[in-house]
Amino acid sequence: MEETKVADNSEYAIEMLGITKRFPGIIANDNVTIQLKKGEIHALLGENGAGKSTLMSVLFGLYQAEEGVIKKDGKEVQINNPNDANDLGIGMVHQHFKLVQCFSVLDNIILGVETVKNGLLQKDVARKKITELSEKYGLKVDPDAKIEDITVGMQQRTEILKMLYRDNEILIFDEPTAVLTPAEIDELMQIMKNLAKEGKSILFISHKLAEIMSVADRCSVLRRGKYIGTVNISETNQEELSRMMIGRDVQLVATKEDKTPGNVILHVENMTVPSKLHHNNAVKNVSFDVREGEIVCIAGIDGNGQTELVYGLSGLENITSGKIELSGKDITHASIRERSTSGMSHIPEDRHKHGLVLDYSLAYNLVLQRYFEPEFSSKAGFLKKGEIKKYADKLIEQYDIRSSQGADTISRSMSGGNQQKAIIAREIDKDPNLLIAVQPTRGLDVGAIEYIHRQLIARRDEGHAVLLVSLELEEVMSISDRILVMYEGELVGEFDPKTTTPEELGLYMAGAKRKEVGA
Amino acid sequence: MSAQVNKTMAEKESILAKPAVQSIIASLLCIVVGLFIGYIALLLINAEGATEAIITIIKNYFTYPSKAAALKYCGNTLVKAAPLLMCALSIQFCYQAGLFNIGAAGQYVAGAGASLFCALKLGMPWYLCLVAALIAGGLFGVAVGFLKAYLNVNEVISGIMLNWIGLYTVNMILSSVKESASPYTVSLEKTNAAAVLPSLGLQKLFSNNKYVTIAIPLAVIIAILIKVVLSMTVFGYEIKATGIAKDAAKYSGMKEKRNIILTLFIGGALAGIGAAFLFLTGYEQWSVTQSSVPGMGFNGIAATFLGGLDPIGTIFASYFIQHITSGGSYLDKNVYPSQISDFISAIIIYLCGFVLFFKFFLNSRIKNKKNNAEGGNK
Amino acid sequence: MVLLLQYTLLFASVLILVALGGCFSEHSGVINLGLEGIMVMGALGGALTLKYINSSLPSLLIVLAVLVVSIVCGVVYSMLLAFACINFKADQTLVGTALNLLAAAAATVIAKTINIAEDPNNVSSTVQYVAAKKALVVNIGKFQFNWFMLVAFIALVCAYVVLYKTRFGLRLMACGEHPQAADSVGINVYKMRWAGVLISGMLAGVGGIVYITAGVSEWKFENGVAGFGFLALAVMIFGQWKPINIGLAALLFGFFRALSNVYSGFDFLAALNIPGSVYNMMPYIISLIVLAFTSANSRAPKAEGIPYDKGSR
Repeated sequence: MEETKVADNSEYAIEMLGITKRFPGIIANDNVTIQLKKGEIHALLGENGAGKSTLMSVLFGLYQAEEGVIKKDGKEVQINNPNDANDLGIGMVHQHFKLVQCFSVLDNIILGVETVKNGLLQKDVARKKITELSEKYGLKVDPDAKIEDITVGMQQRTEILKMLYRDNEILIFDEPTAVLTPAEIDELMQIMKNLAKEGKSILFISHKLAEIMSVADRCSVLRRGKYIGTVNISETNQEELSRMMIGRDVQLVATKEDKTPGNVILHVENMTVPSKLHHNNAVKNVSFDVREGEIVCIAGIDGNGQTELVYGLSGLENITSGKIELSGKDITHASIRERSTSGMSHIPEDRHKHGLVLDYSLAYNLVLQRYFEPEFSSKAGFLKKGEIKKYADKLIEQYDIRSSQGADTISRSMSGGNQQKAIIAREIDKDPNLLIAVQPTRGLDVGAIEYIHRQLIARRDEGHAVLLVSLELEEVMSISDRILVMYEGELVGEFDPKTTTPEELGLYMAGAKRKEVGA
Repeated sequence: MSAQVNKTMAEKESILAKPAVQSIIASLLCIVVGLFIGYIALLLINAEGATEAIITIIKNYFTYPSKAAALKYCGNTLVKAAPLLMCALSIQFCYQAGLFNIGAAGQYVAGAGASLFCALKLGMPWYLCLVAALIAGGLFGVAVGFLKAYLNVNEVISGIMLNWIGLYTVNMILSSVKESASPYTVSLEKTNAAAVLPSLGLQKLFSNNKYVTIAIPLAVIIAILIKVVLSMTVFGYEIKATGIAKDAAKYSGMKEKRNIILTLFIGGALAGIGAAFLFLTGYEQWSVTQSSVPGMGFNGIAATFLGGLDPIGTIFASYFIQHITSGGSYLDKNVYPSQISDFISAIIIYLCGFVLFFKFFLNSRIKNKKNNAEGGNK
Repeated sequence: MVLLLQYTLLFASVLILVALGGCFSEHSGVINLGLEGIMVMGALGGALTLKYINSSLPSLLIVLAVLVVSIVCGVVYSMLLAFACINFKADQTLVGTALNLLAAAAATVIAKTINIAEDPNNVSSTVQYVAAKKALVVNIGKFQFNWFMLVAFIALVCAYVVLYKTRFGLRLMACGEHPQAADSVGINVYKMRWAGVLISGMLAGVGGIVYITAGVSEWKFENGVAGFGFLALAVMIFGQWKPINIGLAALLFGFFRALSNVYSGFDFLAALNIPGSVYNMMPYIISLIVLAFTSANSRAPKAEGIPYDKGSR
């Protein structure tokens, strides 16, 4: 009894005080303090690599901090593994959902805390509790639907129900809006507010300022592992938060001169691409052009067919109907290699899976698209290792790719930003007519993002065509010359960034509005 | 003084950090532990003669007191090491492309069947028999490759199925050239001397062991060729990329399906030639009633992993595996089963499974020490 | 005809047991290519029990003793796989293969050692169990019922219930599909995978003794189990990792295997004069064909074959 009384007196649900966590060669968290009040929505703001996920790993017992203490309800606690965190009522919705695809919603929710009788699962009891919870908090789901069949929004609601089913009091949302449509984001914000009203304490990890402004009560900022400060949302604005996060004023809107687009480089006519995961088509009857000297951006929420669109263009997936022309040449049935040698470069969405042979050296990766050319291989089929090394050194110098052992570095050991730089160097140095860049800035810090934007704009200024696929509206608005919005596999609107607004784009991205698009 | 100590320590560690050095240490450890476990097994069977028995296995032909006899039986070990090396290379080449070619055993069987059939039934000269073995083994490999590339069939399971299909098929085909009184195929030397691999005088080096032929140096040359192909050519660049990063290989426009099939053709051809390297010496005759797949292809797995997945290392590893296998046959059969050598080989393969972990452990220790040292310097 | 039915059921029982073993292991996320070797070890344990047990004991007792020893041998042997692949993240294909070779060599060595001890001139690897084997079967008219058919049927029902109706099954499958998700809700992935592998050892061990007692009264251990462990894997894939489908697939494969035992008993088959080798090949050819048609869209557990590392999330 005594203990609960002490606990009730504390203003804070969870406190992380003076947390320091070092890794070889880097201090991931340097004396960081976060105090989460009961019933508040507390935002944790920081760039990629600022130390947010390390901090959460410490909270969940995946890492042990070298210094600092964690307090629950004012009382110091020891968290050695995720189970300890669960026992303390801490739950988390991970950025990448932890859901078993072929299980039902219900199975996923009860996994780990199943009710059994005589050794058999009692799903009816669980179903009743889930229905009650989903009604109470307005979390609509079908408990018997399989995860692989439901929308991302519903999957996220399943994750939230998982926490509520376990009676968690402290709810952590890790970048929860990245995968949602604007309407779903609004819904999530409302759900978070409801949860807070019912007494749950919420930690909201994000780097999106607008969302933090609209939902949070307070905000703590991390920068390069250091704790910068905590502010009340009612007393601050986006500019201040941005400065705290980055440490200087940044001009996120890239400057570029007006330019009149030239000849058509990429011509796509009625292209349809099948989906790998489902039995329908992921890209339906899409037509558009990309011309010299312009950056055309495909905007949309993740999972609306952008990936498959690029697969169709690059040849990673066969298209079922339609026509693709590159610089006037029909490449509809051309192989991946033919497309590449005909002047198409592709910065892939997943740099680890597609972009790099991670266990090859940097030099070998830099010639991944060109190793077969006479410059790098002899007629007899031998690699010219000297030439490859020389070429790699040139690119490393020119594109400022940093690594521990230069051209001989194994790519796996390089940082994400430098891996991406290597891919960009490789793809741009091919001097392609068309550069396709898919989410080229994902997961990178501001410096690297600016660098990549400059490279893309330089391509455009030199009179080449660039097709950018991006999920970040800010990026879309700032660097593109023309915006095509993709929704459920179709192009539903074409816009000029100078005359449109993010709000308007949002309506199209969510499928609320549409207009005819065609080349 | 202490600076000097630091320096030598650093040197020692940098040697330890070299992948090749780590591979050699790991392989030697596997051998030592494998032999030790084999010794324990011998002790359990019969403690009295166990020490002598394990020494017999290790000594192999050195048990013969006369130098001439030792040389002659050294020749026998080499005769069998050559096909083993070929099987090991087959498995290794495919493994570089991410394929576990357990079907090497069946490709070996196919090569044996084709070369013997061409030699004994069709009366072809040795080089044509070799080509036939190459093609037969290659086609068995292609079957696995095709199933893998186009129908996503696990190459291990299809490989095993083809091993058995190959065995029964070859038994059937070679029934037409068997001795009337025994299940064995007729003698190669007597039926078609032109099909025996030439010796080019090599047999003189081994006390006139007539089974010593060009097969032995050829196998070593092929191993070196494989090393060159893997590390210096465009094809090697492609198959290694396919093996470690299938999606990236596809992204860069490499023809994955073609490479899988081609790799397995080469793998199959290597195993097929391996069989011809043995059966065209006349050292062994095929028994058409045999009901288990010859172990050569499986021992190849041991040799290739023990060789640190490097063609040059595999030359030595193949010799070692064959050395102890032959050594096993010198055991007193009425006390110790000769399969104790197979047992040791199998233990060694099992231990090879831990090599990756061992290297990881070694590297992380070196890294930690390095970091500590750097931290101390600051 | 009765004979064909009898052998079909017998071989189907073997395939059901071993394929279910593979099924449990793969649902936990470990590809068990060592099933063949585990079968050999289970078979050796069972065969030696039959050899040494007093054949005048009640037959139920004999069946139980054989069952228990085979299970123990299978489980203990499968630990080698679990230890290497789960705790040391070894290549599952390599270790599985090593287990197959090791089992064949070890069983031969053990069988020979026993034979040599009895008679120094007997260097064969054959174990005989004529007397006690009678306890395994009950004659119902012409049909020879084997208790292991019942065991296989019970195993099939149990597997269905365990996988789909119990907490253990739910957690096991979560580990094979998405171990990080399982870990995040407090399930010990390593422990579940150990359980999956040990269950596969248990079932494959029993499968081994059933296989070598099907129709014969002695077994030459140099021959191993003739790729039956791999046929069981083909059955498992054909059955899409689901117990009921595995049962049906096993009947089909069992039929073709049985044909090679009894084809000479059918006049019209004997009249065709097809060499015995062709019948021997049949199960393997069928399984290749079946795999060719079912592998492209297979629904294997997503995380199978990938060692789980707690550190990487």
